[in-house]
Amino acid sequence: MAPRTRRHGAAPGARGGSRRRRLPLRLLLPVLVLVALMAMLMLRGYVHSEILADHRVQPPAATDQVPQKILEGGPVIDTRAGRTESMSVPDHKLVLTFDDGPDPVWTPKVLDVLKEHHAHAVFFVTGTMASRYPDLVQRMVDEGHEVGLHTFNHPDLSYQSTSRIDWELSQNQLALTGAAGIRTSLFRPPYSSFADAMDNKSWPVTEYIGSRGYLTVVNNTDSEDWKRPGADEIIRRATPHGGKGAIVLMHDSGGDRHQTVQALDRFLPGLQEQGYEFDNLSEALDLPSAHSEVTGAGLWKAKAWVFLVQASEKVTDALVVGLAVIGTLVIGRFGLMLLLSFAHARKVRRRNFAWGPPVTRPVSVLVPAYNEAKCIENTVRSLMASDHPVEIIVVDDGSTDGTARIVEAMGLPGVRVIRQLNAGKPAALNRGLANASHDIVVMMDGDTVFEPSTVRELVQPFGDPKVGAVAGNAKVGNKDSLIGAWQHIEYVMGFNLDRRMYDVLGCMPTIPGAVGAFRRSALARIGGMSDDTLAEDTDVTMALHRDGWKVVYAEDARAWTEAPETVQQLWSQRYRWSYGTMQAIWKHRRAVVDRGPSGRFGRVGLPFVSLFMVVAPLLAPLIDIFLLYGIVFGPTEKTIGAWLGVLVLQAVCAAYAFRLDRERMTHLISLPLQQILYRQLMYVVLLQSWITALTGGRLRWQKLRRTGAVEAPGGIPTQRQRVMNEQQEPVR
Amino acid sequence: MSTVPPPSDALSSPPPGTDDTIPPAPPVTAEPRKPVRDRYFDLLRAIALFRVVLYHLMGWAWLPVVFPSMGVMFALAGNLMARSLKRPAVQVVRSRTRRLLPPLWLLGAVGVTGMVAQGWGPDSEGHPGWWWFHLLYWIVPLSDPPFAEGLPGVHHILGEDWAAELGGPLWYIRAYLWYVLLSPFLLKALKALPWPTILSPVALAAALEFGWLHIPVARIDSAVTDFSTFGACWILGMAHQQGVLRRLPRYAVPSLAPFVAAFGLWYALTHGFEEGHDLDDIPFAQSLWSLATVALLLNISPSWTEWPRRLRRWDRLVTLLNSRAVTIYLWHNLCILVAATVWDDLWSIDTLADHEAWLLESPWPVLALAWALIAVCIVAFGWAEDLAAKRKPRLWPDGSVAARGGTGGRRRQG
Repeated sequence: MAPRTRRHGAAPGARGGSRRRRLPLRLLLPVLVLVALMAMLMLRGYVHSEILADHRVQPPAATDQVPQKILEGGPVIDTRAGRTESMSVPDHKLVLTFDDGPDPVWTPKVLDVLKEHHAHAVFFVTGTMASRYPDLVQRMVDEGHEVGLHTFNHPDLSYQSTSRIDWELSQNQLALTGAAGIRTSLFRPPYSSFADAMDNKSWPVTEYIGSRGYLTVVNNTDSEDWKRPGADEIIRRATPHGGKGAIVLMHDSGGDRHQTVQALDRFLPGLQEQGYEFDNLSEALDLPSAHSEVTGAGLWKAKAWVFLVQASEKVTDALVVGLAVIGTLVIGRFGLMLLLSFAHARKVRRRNFAWGPPVTRPVSVLVPAYNEAKCIENTVRSLMASDHPVEIIVVDDGSTDGTARIVEAMGLPGVRVIRQLNAGKPAALNRGLANASHDIVVMMDGDTVFEPSTVRELVQPFGDPKVGAVAGNAKVGNKDSLIGAWQHIEYVMGFNLDRRMYDVLGCMPTIPGAVGAFRRSALARIGGMSDDTLAEDTDVTMALHRDGWKVVYAEDARAWTEAPETVQQLWSQRYRWSYGTMQAIWKHRRAVVDRGPSGRFGRVGLPFVSLFMVVAPLLAPLIDIFLLYGIVFGPTEKTIGAWLGVLVLQAVCAAYAFRLDRERMTHLISLPLQQILYRQLMYVVLLQSWITALTGGRLRWQKLRRTGAVEAPGGIPTQRQRVMNEQQEPVR
Repeated sequence: MSTVPPPSDALSSPPPGTDDTIPPAPPVTAEPRKPVRDRYFDLLRAIALFRVVLYHLMGWAWLPVVFPSMGVMFALAGNLMARSLKRPAVQVVRSRTRRLLPPLWLLGAVGVTGMVAQGWGPDSEGHPGWWWFHLLYWIVPLSDPPFAEGLPGVHHILGEDWAAELGGPLWYIRAYLWYVLLSPFLLKALKALPWPTILSPVALAAALEFGWLHIPVARIDSAVTDFSTFGACWILGMAHQQGVLRRLPRYAVPSLAPFVAAFGLWYALTHGFEEGHDLDDIPFAQSLWSLATVALLLNISPSWTEWPRRLRRWDRLVTLLNSRAVTIYLWHNLCILVAATVWDDLWSIDTLADHEAWLLESPWPVLALAWALIAVCIVAFGWAEDLAAKRKPRLWPDGSVAARGGTGGRRRQG
């Protein structure tokens, strides 16, 4: 957001009454949103095996502890209830088994081929994949196949503790139940092969899994289709010899499986002709079905799990889109800013450049002041040193600290003090306008200090009769503290990049309250300052655009202002700006359908401003969320690289802005931290503004303001005092 | 970090509180520029000390990350040293050394006697001459004081290999002594070239880490490594006192330190950071992390001349920890060992072992017990610190009226 300077006035105080009550909400809600997003990302990382994944595989071990009859027996191993038996598939029956699925691309094709040839098979699904593609699991069950467990995320179980094995099984069942409403009693260990490959490491696991009630299913023939040896080779390896029955290992997931599908399409009819039947395991062994239905709480828990995983997938997809959007916006905006500010600087710095004939006639300077006793003297003295003829009008907005008296006591010629009962900054400015003698009016804050040439530089653009208002270059005086340095960077970028860009595009959203100049006739046409919004400067600037006036930026009109010193102050300042900007955009929304200059502003300027000031900051934290996600789940280096890339781009822009403003670069060491923390601050502020806007904050605000006005004569409402006290020492 | 790997890292605290910053016999009468204790520093020192004891008991790798006690302690000591060095260097070094050594001698008298009683002697290591020579390090610890290895312990009270536990933390005393001896030169260098001086230990740490520099002699290697690891903190403490930090823009340290710290942490995490192999075993990472966190803590440095209201209730505890920092540091490891041995002994009570096993497994009662023993040590051995400071010995110097004995006493206590 382009910086302005602090505003004063009655408006902010109005919020005070409800502020304490709302304070938790403004943090709670953004934090909840972020935590929810983070949780969704974690869930996604989890089911994508990006966390807790264990890719170790046990090397072959001795086999002396494995019972001989298991090593020599069939591929279906029953160690349930203390048994140690194995079973084989009868002759002329084949049980096709597909591991690691379901896969969104290949599983449907495998299912299609099986259906075409009226074959049944067994799918050993992983919990992660089943959670992500529950519909495919449901389809397997519907089409008469059996589903078995293949653990949740495919670790070598011989490395895992029994509690991890229990967890792998139950989590796998949970996913299966959520997908198809059933449980299964079939299990195939990851990285398994034939029964005679059981060894001292895997046998205890098999025994344990049997004790949990599962049949362990290994295989007789391994198609090794994951090596993609070609369909012929897959068929050759899968085919048993001499009409024997077999369990055939294939894969429907984990990469390109078109060879598997191709091979199946020939393998099935080929062996069916030889008299083979393709059954699922229970059919082949004539056992009761391995599936059992789940009802009640267990089913709902599983459904909830699958729903959450599905939601996390969708949320993540949306976030990725959001990230792409914000990435494009950020980078596009920086590119545009560099380009246009370069063009602007070139234009106004050309040797013979002039807005029009030099403006030398005197101008009126309005200084609205509310309790500025500490600063007002510096402010007025800086104006007296001006090298342009000025009439100074200090409008005291009901100060209680003797601001007006201080100015009067200075006894300066050409300085007028006007007192009014406290009525807010717009009213003070309007009163000043009514008393100004000249047709060009400069407006500034009571705590801002001008350079001698500021007024002259500020009013030169009025040589162009189409210019209705001019924005000056507000600079941070207290830039030595961390938060001051951040705002300094922000201001330098905001004034030297954003404002130049807006100038060129003809959609300057705001004349800063600290340093701006207006043509009185232009203000008269739009009815002067309005107190409809918290951001009267944005409001009036937009109104001028709609009335067809040009609003430009004068880079050499520098004004030194005091930036908030605490996060709390900064937050409330930005809240006023951000909410005020939203109010102003809403107030001028009809410009979108207007004709003429108003319509042009409404269709170009308004969307542009809305995009960058109201929408973009809401998406900005995504950058940091994905930074965290990328660092935790990988690819760590790429993530940090991309993030550093964005940072470098920002640094380049900032350095260019500093160069344009002839500022020392040392403050840029604060840039990395500024970029990280400011994004969060702006996000919180903006979300709070949205909440206020959507919950009818405006109504409450108006009502409270009236209360404030009633109290004003007797004493300033306390909350107002607090806000005003936030304004601090004079600039230098 | 030292070659004699301390069973635990070793952290700890410093010395001598403070007071030789005050010229001897400070006038008790109100005087405008009497040095006032900075309670913020006192608080940091107390937290550091508490964390050292906690870490030596628990061994959590993340504790030194949360609060890098050693760096903080060295920085505070460096700060005081720089303050003292307004006086002639020889005098300051002598008074500092005098403050440091008597408590060590007391530990040595008790400890070495115990070791000898259990059979440690000139022939234990095969070089009687060296044994006698190394024993001198118990008197002037220019290198690590020697201790017996593999001692049997005392049944029911003292676990085996207790001398290693006793000797482990002494690297701190050795490093501290070297810093004191070098301080006059460091201060000169600091005044001439502030930032190169502050960063030179980190450069040295990098040189050792990446093998550009190799020191074959273990005793010298450990001394150089410790210097490189925490030297930047000591010098930073001096720089803080000299106003070097104040000359920077206020935004500089908080802008840069987080990235230095993050780099140090990243280096640690990519070089085998885990329980049992933490920052202390990765000196380069430790040097960066400590430098950055100490810089941040010094940058905050609010200079409390009196306690903020919320912390006031901790005043006496913090004062006590500060007054007896050396004693606590020297004896705490032994206290932990005794506490753990006694607590482990409870397993022999069957009812407890059968029904309250969780209690026996829990480290927290051991912590309480260890602190109780430390309190005993404060009473039994703390007087050595007063003696070293040429002060009337006190039993329990927590700054309360009884202990203070006069308005000036509180300021003077170390």
